Amino acid sequence: MGLLERVQRVIVSRGLIPKIMAQLPKISIIFVAISILMIAILPMDGQYRNTYISENALMPSQAYSYFRETEWNIVRGYRNELVHMENSTSRERNQIMESWLNEFGVKTQIYENRDNEVLYGVFHAPRGDGTEAIVLAVPWFNVDGEFNTNGAAVGVALARYFSRWPVWSKNIIVVFSENPDSALRSWVEAYYTSLDLTGGSIEAAIVLDSPGENDYFDYLEVYYDGLNGELPNLDLVNIGIYIAEHEGMRVSLHGTPFDQIKENNYWTRLKILVASIQSSAFSGLTKTHGNEAFSGWRIQSITLKTKGNSGPLDITCFGRVPEAMFRSINNLLEKFHQSFFFYLLLAPRQFVSISSYLPSAVILSVAFVIAFMDSYINNPSFALPFFSNYTLIPAIVWTVTLVACFILAQLFLILPIPSLLLLINIVISISSIIIQNKKLFKPAVSNRLRSFAFLHLSLILTSLLMVNFPLSFMIGLMAFPMTKVRSITANTAPQIKLENIILLMISNPFIALIIYNNVSSNSGLQGLQGLRVINRLISAWKDMRCWTWFVLCLGWLPSWIMVAISVIENEREPTSHDVKKNE
Amino acid sequence: MVMPVKESHIVLGCFVSRLLVSFVFPSLQHQLDQSVEFSTPMTSFKSIQEGIYMFTKGLPTYNGGVVHHSPILIWMLSILPSQLFITVLYAAIDAYIAFQILQISKHLKYCNLPNYIFGILYVLNPLVLLSCVSKSSIIFTNVLITTALLHVLQGNIVFASMAIAAAGYLSLYPILLLVPLLGMIASWKRKILSIITTIITLQILLFISYEINGSSWDFIDSTYGKILTFSKVFPNIGLWWYFFVEMFDEFIPFFKSVFNLIVLVFIVPFTIRFNQQPLFAFILCLGWIILTKPYPTLGDAGFFLSLLPFFNSIFGYLRYPLLSTLLILHAVILSPIFYHLWIDLGSGNSNFFYAITLVYALGIASIIADLTWAMLRNEYDEGKPNYNVKVTQI
Repeated sequence: MGLLERVQRVIVSRGLIPKIMAQLPKISIIFVAISILMIAILPMDGQYRNTYISENALMPSQAYSYFRETEWNIVRGYRNELVHMENSTSRERNQIMESWLNEFGVKTQIYENRDNEVLYGVFHAPRGDGTEAIVLAVPWFNVDGEFNTNGAAVGVALARYFSRWPVWSKNIIVVFSENPDSALRSWVEAYYTSLDLTGGSIEAAIVLDSPGENDYFDYLEVYYDGLNGELPNLDLVNIGIYIAEHEGMRVSLHGTPFDQIKENNYWTRLKILVASIQSSAFSGLTKTHGNEAFSGWRIQSITLKTKGNSGPLDITCFGRVPEAMFRSINNLLEKFHQSFFFYLLLAPRQFVSISSYLPSAVILSVAFVIAFMDSYINNPSFALPFFSNYTLIPAIVWTVTLVACFILAQLFLILPIPSLLLLINIVISISSIIIQNKKLFKPAVSNRLRSFAFLHLSLILTSLLMVNFPLSFMIGLMAFPMTKVRSITANTAPQIKLENIILLMISNPFIALIIYNNVSSNSGLQGLQGLRVINRLISAWKDMRCWTWFVLCLGWLPSWIMVAISVIENEREPTSHDVKKNE
Repeated sequence: MVMPVKESHIVLGCFVSRLLVSFVFPSLQHQLDQSVEFSTPMTSFKSIQEGIYMFTKGLPTYNGGVVHHSPILIWMLSILPSQLFITVLYAAIDAYIAFQILQISKHLKYCNLPNYIFGILYVLNPLVLLSCVSKSSIIFTNVLITTALLHVLQGNIVFASMAIAAAGYLSLYPILLLVPLLGMIASWKRKILSIITTIITLQILLFISYEINGSSWDFIDSTYGKILTFSKVFPNIGLWWYFFVEMFDEFIPFFKSVFNLIVLVFIVPFTIRFNQQPLFAFILCLGWIILTKPYPTLGDAGFFLSLLPFFNSIFGYLRYPLLSTLLILHAVILSPIFYHLWIDLGSGNSNFFYAITLVYALGIASIIADLTWAMLRNEYDEGKPNYNVKVTQI
């Protein structure tokens, strides 16, 4: 404390506080720079850690895997049948699959959702009390619309293979859904709400994705990030990667191509780090591989996807990964809790935990608090009393904007017309040109309107910090330009007006997202041309309950609208005479 | 009673807004009652309903260990024929608090704000609104506290003492507010009158409870006993629960008495030091109780914060109002999120929520400390604000 007092005394005696106050805009930019820098140093040596299996009970690959030559013909046999099913209806496919599952004693049921059917079967554990389950999920068609022939063959062969084993202490559930997103998601929701045939709470889920009918594949891709910023426990990802590498596979994260997997240097780590931030921030917008469907129910889930068709690994190899993972998870006596729930992977075996990356988003959020202080303090209207119309009007505007944004969000859920949404936002951002000589607000009101806006966004970012760090970070970065807009009076140069409009345009949630999607080559949002990203945002809420749409509409948009309104031409700045009069 | 137009608008607005929110979002009450921020075992509406059910069926109300509300409260609510009446009653009480706050503000000596501001701030306070919608029983305590405050300012000491006794009867700790209340009474004779009235009222209330409760004293343990000994270790936004979750058994009684002592210990000093500003002492004590009591809710905080604008004239002396505001804002927003991470998603743990309750406590504490400073500074300036004098080195 003595030191702190001393520092404070020096600060006060040198008169640093007013000087610092005057530099607030610069300080906020510095904070953003620090925030980016803090992310950028994470892939450096010494900043990250190697992954390790934290829960001792897991013991991955300690037991010998038997899904080998003996199962070859079974997998092939199933596959030969499955090859013909690609064009049959989902009902026909499910009926055949159901008969196979029933053959070896798995209880099955078909869950009908809005559009299609989901077949699932429960194999009751010989050694368990039936309160916990592990899920093996196989979407009939994967995210790219390819028929999941190998995946389904391995899935049913594994189910058959598991059912002959007496070691299981957790129920095993196999799920065949039409697609990896909405159908699987609706099944998970139904499982916890309405289904009759259940097998207890789901501890972990593994999604198999292996399209084609080739016997061989090159390497394995692992997808782990869920919706709404949720991640599976790091232990589950670790055992997946550990087992796959133990079987001699290379594991790729976030679409790293085969020839680059071997490399492990600063740039490759940074690339995976950025990709994982992107894919988590835009979860629901990016491709949904299947593990996302389990988010929100305390289920740890990952997707295993085979890539290539010429490699040295055969299809039973692919089957041995879920087999060994099931054995590991089967060992657990408690839920996954040992390892990290908040982490970012830099490479299959390297990660940073929350304490390393969280400060950068905190600093970003503080940058908005500084912008709030700047727009509140650094202008003549600071002298005006707090309890006055100058605060009341922004408060009312804030409430109205929030309600309007909520209505807007609901309306576009019913009528998803991206071009209309875009038009509205463009009109708002150029409103300072459209509405001229109207003198909408007093300068004090416009300043406090901006402070309200920044405070609102800062609070949103802070509240997102722990729940969805990547989203908070991305919104913070993309929305930051709007803190640089300046008030306009009658004699402001047109150049500043133009600047304002550009700043507003690039910091608008939807325009920024569209620009980002179309400019960034590696945004992870492949295949969403032009405005389709907005449609995707809306359907992600409808099908997957991914609330990014609402975060944008109720967090970012209101504060952006308030900033946009605040730069509409003001009356002149108050003179000291006015200030006195008001007091 | 004739009110100027503006005040009646505010009171009516308060009433209508509460009703409107209750009717437009019918599931909100249940959700808020489930949340740890607005509901504790001592104030939850669910437990009142349980109590009403047991009471009307003639079952022993306090046998199940679920009901912790006073017998008279349960009896009074059980008279109301339906839920609709209860909703209306809550809205009406909140409106009455708004009305009383408007009346109290008329007794302020130094006030540069128009009266209606105080009412508006209460009505618009989201914490108060949500607490009212959640049907937390804290509102009954709050209305009795404002009643006591208003009547002591109006000179009606008997009524004020009765109100404070009733507030204490409902949730125990407000009885401590009798001390600052005595500080607001000028003559010793009247002080003694006030003490005697309080004691008699308490005795009568307890005796009525005894009669209502089927000639049994078991309600004492279920209400006051459970509060004093913090028997229901539930997470809440207070400072107690985390402390007692993992403490060794042999230390628990000692620390429980220490924690109770902390609630008690600042009441008299505040009253003595601020005997020239008794209203300030009263509200400071209220803040202290809210900070240190075992089962606080955000409804308490909202009520306390709505009373602070009374001291608008000394806000200029506050040293870190921005910090306190940001602390409270963040705590209020983050606490349900961290609770969700801990309980629903399972990706967080209890430390997350505990950390945010500490932020909340820090926010309330910094408000109390800052206000104390501001009032002392105001005394130093003898009521004529001079913000430029430096009285400390830092």
